[in-house]
This record gives sequence, C-alpha cells and structure tokens, in this order.
Amino acid sequence: MIELENLTKTFIGTQAPAVDNLSLTIERGEIAVFVGPSGCGKTTTLKMINRLIEPTSGSIRIDGRLAHAVPVHELRRGIGYVIQQIGLFPHRTIRQNIGTVPSLLDWDRGRIDERVEELAELVALDGDMLDRYPAELSGGQRQRVGVARALAADPPVLLMDEPFGAVDPIVRAHLQDELLDLQQRLHKTIALVTHDIDEAIKLGDRVAILSEGGHLEQYDTPGEILRDPANAFVADFLGTDRGIKRLSLIPISAIDLVAGPVVPRSATHAEAVAVALEYGTDWVAIQDGDNVSGWLRIADVPTDGNAGPDPEPFRTSLTKDSTLKEALDAIVSSHTSVAAVFDGPVLLGMVTAEALSREIQR
Amino acid sequence: MTGPALIAAGFFSWEWVVNHLDDIWDRTIEHLILTGIAIVVGAVISLVLSVVALRYRRTYTPITWFAGLLYTIPSLALFAFLVPVTGLSILTAEIGLVSYTLLILIRNIVAGIDGVPPATVESARGMGYTTRGLFIAVELPLALPVIMAGIRIAAVTTIGLVTVTALIGQGGLGFFIATGLTLIHSPVGTTQIVVGTVLSVVLAVAVDMSLVGVERLTTPWSRKRAAT
Repeated sequence: MIELENLTKTFIGTQAPAVDNLSLTIERGEIAVFVGPSGCGKTTTLKMINRLIEPTSGSIRIDGRLAHAVPVHELRRGIGYVIQQIGLFPHRTIRQNIGTVPSLLDWDRGRIDERVEELAELVALDGDMLDRYPAELSGGQRQRVGVARALAADPPVLLMDEPFGAVDPIVRAHLQDELLDLQQRLHKTIALVTHDIDEAIKLGDRVAILSEGGHLEQYDTPGEILRDPANAFVADFLGTDRGIKRLSLIPISAIDLVAGPVVPRSATHAEAVAVALEYGTDWVAIQDGDNVSGWLRIADVPTDGNAGPDPEPFRTSLTKDSTLKEALDAIVSSHTSVAAVFDGPVLLGMVTAEALSREIQR
Repeated sequence: MTGPALIAAGFFSWEWVVNHLDDIWDRTIEHLILTGIAIVVGAVISLVLSVVALRYRRTYTPITWFAGLLYTIPSLALFAFLVPVTGLSILTAEIGLVSYTLLILIRNIVAGIDGVPPATVESARGMGYTTRGLFIAVELPLALPVIMAGIRIAAVTTIGLVTVTALIGQGGLGFFIATGLTLIHSPVGTTQIVVGTVLSVVLAVAVDMSLVGVERLTTPWSRKRAAT
C-alpha cells in the first residue's frame, strides 16, 4: 500500500508547485495509473515515492512505513523501478542486469542465478538471451528485461514511468497484456505513469487524472471516471469517445442477451418470415441440432424447409468474456447488425446496438 | 664499395648496436618504466581531480585551466625550473611527465562520465546504488572507452617526452639521442641517434597497440550490436 499525504513539490527557482498538495492511497495489490498532460507532475509524483525527487512537504508511506524513515538506498532496493528508456547497464550481461538488486542486497551467487532464471521464464525471455549484452536485444526484449530486473528482489511495490512509451504500438499492446497477466499472479502494488488515457484505462485498477501544476482532478476506477467525470477537465481529457472507451471495460456477461431470430434447419419459409418479422430483421439464424451454424437471408430460406443453401457463418465469434467494445465492432462490421455470442458451438444469444446504448446511458 | 653503401656504412654502425644490445635493452626498459610511472600517477591524480570536478561543477574550469597551463609550459623550460629544486632526479622527470598527462586525462575522464546515458544513471539510482557504488560499478566502466582513448594519447605523448628528460640525466632511449648529439660527426654518434629515435617510435606504436588490446579485453560489451 502506498499512501501519499499532502504531497507538494516546488522546484528551486520556480514559483508554482509542480505537485500541489496531493493525497491519495494506492491499495495493496492494485495498479494505480497517473495520467495527465505534460507538466501535470505525474512523473514528479512517481519519483517522490522512491525519493529520486525529495518532496517539499507532505509524507509518503509504503506499507505503513514513512519513506523518510529509511536510508534512501535501502528504500529504493525495496521498490521496483522501470523507466521508459529502461536504462539497462550496457556493460553488463542480461543475467547481471536482472541480478542487480539481489547482488546489491548481497544474495549469494547461486540464489541470484536461480532467481534470474525464474524471472526470465516469468517474463517469457529466452534462456540464451541471458548471456548477451543489452545492445544485442530488441526494444521489446529490453523492456521485458527491465521489468524482470525491477521484480528481481520481489519488491512489494513497483514504480513504472511510461514503461511502454518507447516501443511500437503492437509490441506495446502485447507488453500491456503481459503486465496484466503478470499482475494476476504477483499482486504487486503498482504506480504507473503514462500520458496515454487508453493505456491508463486498460491497465489501471484506479486512475488518477492530474492537471497542470499537479492538481488531482479525479481518482477512481476507470469505469467510474468514464461514467461520471468529475469536471470539464476530466471529461475533456477522456475525449469525445468516452462512451466507446467505457464499452471496452464492460464484459458481455454484464448485459442481457436477446435470443435473436433463430429457426431450426427444418423451418419453412413462412416460419422464418414470422420469426424475422418479430425481430425486425431480414435474416434468420439457422439452428442445426444444438448448434447455430450461421444465418440466411429470408429470401434464401427454401420454401419446403429442406435443401436450402448452406448458412453464412457469423463473422465474429464473441464469448461472454468479450467486451462490449468488441461486440460493437461486430455489430458495425456485420451485415446482420447484431453480434452473436457463443459458448463454444452453442449460441448464447445476441447483442444489439440498442442494448449497448442502454448500457452506456445507465 | 658503391657510393650509397659507403655513406650508409659511415653513418650507421651495426657493430655498435651488436656490442650494446644489453645497454639498449636496459634503456628501453627504463623508458617504459618512466612512462608507466607517469601514466599511473597521472591517472590517479586526474581521477581525483575529475571526481572533484564532477562533484563540484564550478571547479571544472579552474582545474582544466590549471592543467592546460601546465600543458603549455615548454618541457625544456619546466625541467630547467625544477632542477634547482628537485635535482637531476627521477622525481624531476616524473613531475614534468605527469604534468603533461593531466589535461588529456582529466578531460577524457570527465567527458567519459558525462557521456554515460542519463537513463542508465537514473535507473541505477532508482535501484538503490549509493553515489560511490554508482561511480565505481556503473559510471567508470561505461566511461572506460573514452578514458582509454585519453590514456592512449597520454602514453604516446609521454613516450616522446621521456627522451627529453635525458637532458637531466634520465630519459631511457633519450640517453642515446643525447649522447649521439655530442658525437654527431662519428658513426657511433649518428647510430645512437637513430637507435634512440627509431626505438622510441616503435615503443610508442607497441604501447598504443597493447592499450587497444587492453581496451578490447575490458570493454567486451562496447562492440556488441543488435542482431538484425
């Protein structure tokens, strides 16, 4: 747990504070993301936690202990630190890089080696990378090493300053997923800084939105911030696609699915028309036994209910764990204007645009 | 005998060389020792002054100004000034030789440390290195290629300068040049000048190459690049 209390930083030679009377608590095992425009003091706040920047006033407690009650190098050895440029030691092998803090803590050689191998596996780093130098690795690999190095001595707290800022978008999305995956297993208390609101929403259990001069505008869960921005600054910072952003946080299981116009394979043309009319569609889903094999336009349903064309498969197969944003994507990109949700081969139901809109307006 | 061969014979005496091999060897070793002492002492003093300059930035300009001043004093004049104080001793020679290494070494040490990527320093501090630990384990090793470049220049310069210290009774291979000058009209004289000059050049090249080797051994990381 990290508790910031009335934290203020005014840099020498400036009038206005960079961080102004900031108080917030990051619960144990949670990821708190600090986000805001440049000059909002998010990095300054982060660096005050490991005292790379000394606060002008206010206090920081880590798991109840005052950060200032501990010698600064000991404090830092107990906090994992990842920065955008990673800052690996170019003159040391990957193995030595990952083992940095354990060797500062005087672990014996065997224990360090064991830990390094364990971490390499944890961050999905190839074992034969360990004896290379940082210059021989790709950006994404270096970032993994940076995370492994920060986790080396198993610190309860992790500080990450724009950790994925220097890699390309595809690798970034991948590393974000990996971090969430890692967090599922490790339950660290993480403070992460980013300027990217989408990254904040994706990674944060809670998001702290800061405005210029280090004012905390809102600190809440991403869902709550998107549903109810505290003020115009927050609403503006979230952007005009706030509703769609919210959809990405809600799983399909949170809304009621509609059955949809499903008819058995043996249905006649007249039966199909009746069901389609009920749902206001010009198509029906075709059920073969327990499975829905696809859909047909009404015009293509054979009158005798037998030898019709093969049904068109639904283009996306969403599950109840998919997000409403994915459902929206399926809706707008399919002919049927609904998203079919499956559990394996079994059709659970369908998401309609109306259902999405109802959920967003709640 | 043909003309050029006759001149060569009168100019260079292999006989002298063969008869003085021991002497030549001893002077070469002496040359190396004078150089070695100057570089080691110069490096230690430069390191201390560089740490001061890095810790208190305002002292960098006066420190380099002073080292630069020493560097501009003509070597002959410097030894002439020192002899009344420290005599015709190895100390006199080394004071001069060390003085000339300082400017090069301090500049390279400071530039080397300044060239360490800020992100590396920040992450090292963030992981809990003490200031001293950071300097020894991170900054110095990373500055090593730049520092070694300075040491190479200083070593080559010093090897040339050592010959001048022959004037105060030191000088390694310079001894042959100084003696040769007094016998300039005989083959024994010109032979000694050639031997002293050629060997000090050879020594400079050999030392420079060995230092390149040392640098390669101590900085294996600096030549690694990402596999494409």
